[in-house]
Amino acid sequence: MTDKAYNDCVDNFADGVYRFIVKNIRHTEDAQDIVQSAFEKLWVNREQVLPEKVKSYLFTVAYHQMIDHIRKSNKMPLSEDTKIPQQQIVQEDEELKQVLMRAINELNPIQKSLVLLKDYEGYSYQEIGEIMHLSESQVKVYLHRARLILKTKLSAYAPIAS
Amino acid sequence: MQLNESTYETIFLLYIDKELSPKERLEVEAFIADNPNFALEMEALQATVLGSDKIQYPFKENLKQQLDTTSLEDLEKDWNQSYATILKADVEAIPSLSTSFKNALKKDATKEGIVIKPFGFSQQKFTYAAVAACLMVFLGYQQLTKTETRSSAASPLVKTEISNASPKVFEERIETNAETKQVQTEPRAITKLQTSSSSKKQGTNLIQQASIAMVEPTPDNGSLINQAMMKEMPRTYNNPITIDAIPVTISSANLDLAPTEVEKELTSYEIIDTEDPNRTIFIANFEIDGNKFRGLTRRVSALLKRNKSEKEK
Repeated sequence: MTDKAYNDCVDNFADGVYRFIVKNIRHTEDAQDIVQSAFEKLWVNREQVLPEKVKSYLFTVAYHQMIDHIRKSNKMPLSEDTKIPQQQIVQEDEELKQVLMRAINELNPIQKSLVLLKDYEGYSYQEIGEIMHLSESQVKVYLHRARLILKTKLSAYAPIAS
Repeated sequence: MQLNESTYETIFLLYIDKELSPKERLEVEAFIADNPNFALEMEALQATVLGSDKIQYPFKENLKQQLDTTSLEDLEKDWNQSYATILKADVEAIPSLSTSFKNALKKDATKEGIVIKPFGFSQQKFTYAAVAACLMVFLGYQQLTKTETRSSAASPLVKTEISNASPKVFEERIETNAETKQVQTEPRAITKLQTSSSSKKQGTNLIQQASIAMVEPTPDNGSLINQAMMKEMPRTYNNPITIDAIPVTISSANLDLAPTEVEKELTSYEIIDTEDPNRTIFIANFEIDGNKFRGLTRRVSALLKRNKSEKEK
């Protein structure tokens, strides 16, 4: 991978990786650190990473770093001021989407990542399985469970939203 | 794909996850159209799908690598445009090549993408030249010390001969220089020494037969000395060899001294057999100050190191 190809990767994938991480951990600074670490790792291993696998490589690295971060965060709870202010996440103004995001945030990390990777990045079950080190059927089952949970929660939130 | 009340949920989830083929998608849409009560179920599941959400990473530029001002594409363009000119100039700079060979070389080099450099000064050549120069200086210095040793070793014999011959010669000189009673040769005097085989056999009066050819006189006694010297000039000689002479100052008082004291101040002469094919003749010697020589070598080594480090950069 040349310098120029690497810079193209930054242009094309940095936003997606950042969105995936910040939606998961809801902390902008930590999400920025994770994205930076992912791209550093890509730069170090640029000779080994195939051009067509760059995106999934970035998401895989970022996902596993995020898991590490979540584990550490569970040991050291975030203080209130480290939590992401709502206005820092650019969201659509629709209320339903806010409700959905709230529901997604209540999912467990794996389900949350599955939904984000599927909806935001449009990955297939197989690709998601490669990123998260899961089998395709596991992805399918976990994601369907997550959808059903969201459906249930949305139906519960619906009266509040309305 | 069988859509019914027990399987619809899974198939609907696959539908919203876009995991169905176009044909299967059409089947699902047809099923919903046929069964409107499942449309709400589909809407509820589709509501769980996140829409587009534009979040931008704010420090993209920090992640990027600094590219060279000249990109690969620019280099390729420049290469195509100027390569022929450069190659032609380089090949033309080699004077000894024939035209046909140059043309053939141009074709091959263009094909292989090789730039032919003209022969010129390079750091490697400079290094070799500097090493060779240092070696020559060292050998010269070594040779100089050998010469000095050899001349000092050879001098006793010569000096003895001179001491044997000197009284008569200097008596004559003193006679011609009676007023000052002093014989001087200039520091820059060059003495030509000529040998003959008979002088060796006679042995006793060496300087009369192998004698001084030229002495620069002092103003006061020059003409007299020259006359005296000319008397001593041998009639027949060939292949004279010039050697450096040591300045000699002889006073009349010195003539009365023992030969060992006189010989210290006399010029040393060496008999050279000019017919010997294996003889070694030192045309010139030079003297090098040790400190200056070390300084020179240090400068050369520092220059080489600097060039090497610049090249590595």
